[in-house]
This record gives sequence, structure tokens and C-alpha cells, in this order.
Amino acid sequence: MTPTQLDSKNPGSALAISGLSKVFNVGNPNEVTALSDVHLDVHTGEFISLIGPSGCGKSTLLRVIGDLTAFDSGSVQVAGKSPEEARKERLYGIAFQQAALFDWRTVTRNIELPLELAGWQKSQRQERSAELLDMVQLSDFAHHRPWELSGGMQQRVAIARSLAVDPPLLLMDEPFGALDEMTRERMQNELLKIRMETGKTIVFVTHSIPEAVYLSDRVVVMSPRPGRITAEIEVNLGDRNEMTRESDHFFRCVTSVREALRVHDTSNSTSSSHRGEI
Amino acid sequence: MSATRERIAKGSVSLLWALAGIALIAIMWELTKFVGTLIELPFNTSDQAMPHVWTMLSGFTVPEVRGSETTVFQAVVSAASYSFTLALGGFVIGVTVGLILAIVMQRFLFMERGLLPFVIASQTVPLIALAPLIVGIGNQISFGPVQWSTTYSVMFIAAYLAFFPLSIGALRGLHAPSPTSLELMRSYAASNNKVLWKLRFPSSIPYLVPALKVSAAASVVGTVVAEISTGVRGGIGRLMVEYARETTSQPAKVYVAVFGAIALGLVVAAVIAAVDVLLTRNLPKKGLT
Amino acid sequence: MNTKLGYVWPPILVATIFLGGWQLLVVVQDLKPFLLPAPSLIASEFSSGATLMWGAAYYTATTAFLGLIFGTVLGLITALLAQRFITVDKLAAPLAAGLATVPIIALTPILNNMFNITSRTPRVLVTAIIVLFPIFVNVTRGLIQVNATQLELMRSLNATPRTTLRVLRIPNAIPFFFTGLKIAAPLAVIAALVAEYFGGPQQGLGSRIASAAANTAYGRAWAYVLAAIITGLIFYLAIIALERLVTPRTAQVTTTA
Repeated sequence: MTPTQLDSKNPGSALAISGLSKVFNVGNPNEVTALSDVHLDVHTGEFISLIGPSGCGKSTLLRVIGDLTAFDSGSVQVAGKSPEEARKERLYGIAFQQAALFDWRTVTRNIELPLELAGWQKSQRQERSAELLDMVQLSDFAHHRPWELSGGMQQRVAIARSLAVDPPLLLMDEPFGALDEMTRERMQNELLKIRMETGKTIVFVTHSIPEAVYLSDRVVVMSPRPGRITAEIEVNLGDRNEMTRESDHFFRCVTSVREALRVHDTSNSTSSSHRGEI
Repeated sequence: MSATRERIAKGSVSLLWALAGIALIAIMWELTKFVGTLIELPFNTSDQAMPHVWTMLSGFTVPEVRGSETTVFQAVVSAASYSFTLALGGFVIGVTVGLILAIVMQRFLFMERGLLPFVIASQTVPLIALAPLIVGIGNQISFGPVQWSTTYSVMFIAAYLAFFPLSIGALRGLHAPSPTSLELMRSYAASNNKVLWKLRFPSSIPYLVPALKVSAAASVVGTVVAEISTGVRGGIGRLMVEYARETTSQPAKVYVAVFGAIALGLVVAAVIAAVDVLLTRNLPKKGLT
Repeated sequence: MNTKLGYVWPPILVATIFLGGWQLLVVVQDLKPFLLPAPSLIASEFSSGATLMWGAAYYTATTAFLGLIFGTVLGLITALLAQRFITVDKLAAPLAAGLATVPIIALTPILNNMFNITSRTPRVLVTAIIVLFPIFVNVTRGLIQVNATQLELMRSLNATPRTTLRVLRIPNAIPFFFTGLKIAAPLAVIAALVAEYFGGPQQGLGSRIASAAANTAYGRAWAYVLAAIITGLIFYLAIIALERLVTPRTAQVTTTA
């Protein structure tokens, strides 16, 4: 408890998690320890990726941060507040693998949805959505319906929507997971550009190693049964350009993430003793 | 098999809720009658128009006609089972016709383009209005020694209502195989008939089962409605009309007949549910929408 | 197979062959009108008795329309309650499923007893009850079957259940609502027509068909049937038009009944 509380007093802390555990289906034969004793600190403006195989709890961790699911024990502080407070004060924006746009609203009205719910005036909403459309380069499609857009464009709308109320924290759950490789790389560059412009703190869930390395300041490696953090790898790629993906440094980082994932792939049996630690 | 058991357990719970719903309706019925004695309601709440629930139940044991041996209950049961036979006949004819239509429409694009609008339109128009006329026609037809009976007219109407959901469901099912599966069959140089038997029929099952349910329901409703509008004797539809005329003397009788019609519907629903469990037990749980 | 086959002329060709064959059959076989009147006879009866047809169709259509409106409102309210309160859903869902096979029109004699049989009321009510179920079942489905990610998004935006209902569930249910209406509207006409066979006022289509048939005026009876068909078609097409109006172009998400 103690170090977390100290951290949360620090204005530089965007996210402070300690001793977090979460068990699904308690008491059932199919009981799953989704998260076990997770510790994670993210400072303001940092970009971290959560990576790991299916079932490692990376999406669950994201949902706990967003107060979309409850947790059993431990402490979670989002900018010094509980996840529930943070959600109610709209301190984060979220984007999912599915763009989850409303078919019955135009692109603009989709972006304005969070603003409507936050009680913004119409003129302010229009001003803000125009700004965001410009940022994601979709101004020409303002009055289109979502289904008229390609998958990549839809995802850009979803990102613009997550930025609408200008929250300090962005939660992203495999937002590029359903896109083809070329679109994906272009979207990664756009996300980095948006990050440069806005200085958001970003927690990014992915199962692509190159994506995690390319985007992040720090890659957090997780492993399943029970879901926990097994390694954290600092990436210092500096300013990204066309050559970054070809650089030795990039490949070294990719290799070390891959190795971190592999190590824990074989050590499942020993770690299952963590189970039931509440 | 445990999935089947799970579904049965789920069904039993639903049944309990349905019974609770029925009990709620009975209570509201009595409550309405009680309120009717206190203040003027816009409808008749007298014992004649709205008999007590227990009066309705006692109606089961009343003799059908004064001094007769058979009770109303027995009369209703025999009428309902007669209607069940007609509905079954209509169902079989409707399903056969619907299936043939679907196969023809699937095989020949011209037939699909030409017939489908009419198949759909046939459901949006009250062709049931033809019922009194169909009986008139039926009385005049004979095929050699076989005289057309009015019961055939009822079956015809029931079949008419039943064919549509089936032909639409079957057509959708026959069109269901993915292009990849069709290309695979093509690579085997399979004939159209082979494709139909080996691929199209099996892949249409998930569409066929819900369509069969709707068709069965339609044939029951069609039978009762046809009995009412054609005036064919012997079934539950006609019995209701007859009993409705006796409400002044015996208000409970018509309710027993209405319960009989409802019971007929529920029996068919139960049969369909059983068949559904049987047919779809080998299919993946997550069905299509 | 000719892939350039149009969508317009195959149905027209089928209709022409059907009507032509019918006319030919009647003429060649010299069928009497009580057996099968020729299309030409039906057409002439229809045009000569146009005022009668119009009056009867107007009466039945009014019953059907009132029942459709009343039943739709009831169905929508029940669906909203079922979405909000799980108990209502549990009570109503199995009843609605069971009643699919029940000939609800059988309630007409009971309603005739409770309400004034000489008025339109019992017919409107039985129509409303029949309409209620397809609306209830489809709209409830539309309110409940909401994309899980979109629900999570609403939660992340701190939306109240009421806001979620307004912003997400109701728009999501609109295509389902029209699926229900497309089933309900033709049913309303059929119910209003068949309810007339249980006695009461005689000016509707159902009563007129029965009495024309009883008086062996078969040509006229068929002409009334034609009027009933046109009435049903108008109801159906009106719903399609309403759907086009409400739902933006190409957004008509197909839902199954």
C-alpha cells in the first residue's frame, strides 16, 4: 500500500497499480485468475504497451483501469483517483479493436457523442469535432456514415472520439488488430503524431511485438495462468522515421520482448502457485 | 448431451415464469371484476360477460347439452384433436410445397426473380378472405370417385399460411453455403443434384429449423381461423363460435373452448420444441441470427 | 444462367402467364362463376361496385389501423419495461413465445361479451393484442442485443442507464421495430377481417365477403377479396415507405424475424 500512496501524491504519476488481483468465476470449476499481484506505474506522458498471449489478462488490466470491470484486491490510482472517480470525471478516453461507431450517426456526430454526454454546448461541440477531424485527416468525411468508411478510417474516427473531451489518459485495446499490415503501420505513425501533438499518456494493448516496440516508451510483458507482469522492457527509439523499423536497435528490442515472452511460455507450471493469493 | 439437459432445465424455468404470468393475468381478471362492482368501467364486468375464474374452470365438467353424457371438456378435447389433425395435414402440405418452391427458386434464377415477389406479397395480403369461397369451390370439385371434403379446404388454408415461412427459410438456407464450399464442390465436378444433397441441404438445417417452427405455428393458427371463416364443423374454431352464442345461458362454455384453442397451440409449441432439441443437438451452440 | 436477367420483367411475365392461364381455363372449360370466376368478371364487378368496395375496405382498414396503433404502443411500452425490469421480461417472454402458436383471434368472442358487440371496440382490441406480440418480441430483442463494445464505451463515458437507452438502445432497436411492424401490419388487416366473422357490425370486408358468398354472388365476393388484398398491400407498403423515411439510405440493416 505505502509506495503506491506516495506515488499517487506525485503529480507526475498518471497511473499507479499495486498488488492488483482479479479472479473470474470465483468458486466455479472454471475459475480463472485473470490478474495476480500486478504492479505497474506509468508517469504522465508515457506510452506503454501491454503485450502477451491470449488470456494473459492484458485486456482485463485495461478494463480495470477504465473501471469497466471490478477488481478483487490491490490498489489502482488513475491520476491519484480511484478508477471509478476517474471514469466519472472523464479522465480517460478509450478505443477498442472494434471501432464501435454508431451506424445511425454521421462521423461528426460520432465524435461528438462524448461531448454530448459531458454536456457541451452545440457550438462548442462543432468547433471541437472539426478540430479533431482535422487532426485525424477526415474533414472531407464529416457527414459520411461510418459504414461508408474503410476499416482504417473508422478506427481513426474512434481515436478522434476517444480524444474528444481531451482526457489526459488514452486506453487502447488492440485498436489496429483488425487492420491489414500496411494500414496498420500508417495508423501507428498517425498515433505517434497525435501523441506528439497532445502529450497524452497512453496504455496500449497489443499482441504484435513490432507494434509494441515501435510505439512504446516501455513494453510491459504479461503471461497467463495466472495473468501477471513478467518483464518490463524500456525502448528508446527516439524520434521515429522510415528507417526506425529497419534499425538494429529496433530489432534488438523486438528480440528481447520475444525472449521475455518465450521464457514465461515454458514456466507456466511453476507460476501456478500464485493462484489463490488474495 | 449435457447441453440438451441444460436446455430442458432452462425451458422448465421459463415454463414456471409463464405459469406465474398466467396466474398474474387471472388475478388481474378478478381484480378488474371487483373494481367493476365499485365504479363504472367502460366495459361489461358482469358474471355473464366476465365469469369468475372458478366459474370458467367449473365449465369443464358441465354437460355439453342438457342431459347429455359428454361434458364440455370432452367435447373441447375431441374438437381440439380434430383441429390438430387438420393442422398437421396443412403443415405437411405446406412444408412440401414450400420446400419444392425453394428448390425450384434456388435452381432457376428466373423462377426466383419471378416468383419471390409473389411469395412475399402473398403474406402481406389477407388471402384468408378467400376462405368462405374456397369452401364453395371445394363443394363442387370431385376427382373421379373422390369427393372434395370441406376439411380439405381447411387444410388448404392452413397449408397456404404454412408454406411461406418455410419457402423463405429454405431458400435462404439453400443459398447459405459459402462460395468456398461451392468452389470445392465444383472442383469435385459434382452435379447440381449432388451439390443439393451433399452441401445445400445440410447447410440449410440451421435456417430450416426456425422456419419449421414458424410454419407449424402458422398451420395451427390457419386451421382455427379457417374453421371460423369457413364454418367447418368438428374443430375447435367452430366450437368457439357455437359456444359464444350460448353465453347468455352458459357463459363459461366459451372460455373452455378458448382454453382448448390455447392448449392446442401450446401442445404444438411443445412438440416443436422437442423436435428442435432433437434436430439441432449436433450443431454448434452459437447459431446464426 | 443469364445473369443479365432483370428484376422487373420476370414477375410481370409470371403474373401475365398466371392471369392469362386462369382466364383461358375459365373460358375453355366453361367454368361457372361459383366455381371460379374469370379475372375479367372479378375486374368488372370490382369497378362497377367501387363505392361499395371502398366503403367496406375503409371500415376494415380503420379497425386494422386503430388496432395497429394501439397494439404497437402497448408492444413498445412492454418492451421498454422488459428491458428495464428483468421480471417483466421473464414473465412476458415465455408467454409471447407460447402465444405464437395460439390463435389469438379466438379471444374475439370473449371481447365481444365484455365490450359492446355492436361497436368496433372488440375488433380493435383483438387486433391490438395480435399486433402487440411481434412488436414486443422484436423491439425487446433490439433493445437488449446491443453491441457489447458499444455498451462498454457508454460506461467509459459515464452514461446513465437512461442516456444509454436514448443514445444507444433505442436507435439500435429501430430496424428491429420495423421488422416487427412488417409482420404486424398485414396481421392487423387479417385480424380485423377475421374478427368480423364472429358477428357484430356488417359493413366490413369480412362480413361482405361472407354475405356475398352466401348469396351466391361469387363475382362480387371475389371482388371484395381483391379489395382486401389491396388493403393489405397498402398497409405493407406504407410500413416500407415509413421505414425508408426513418432509416437513412442503405443503412437498412437486415434483421431476421
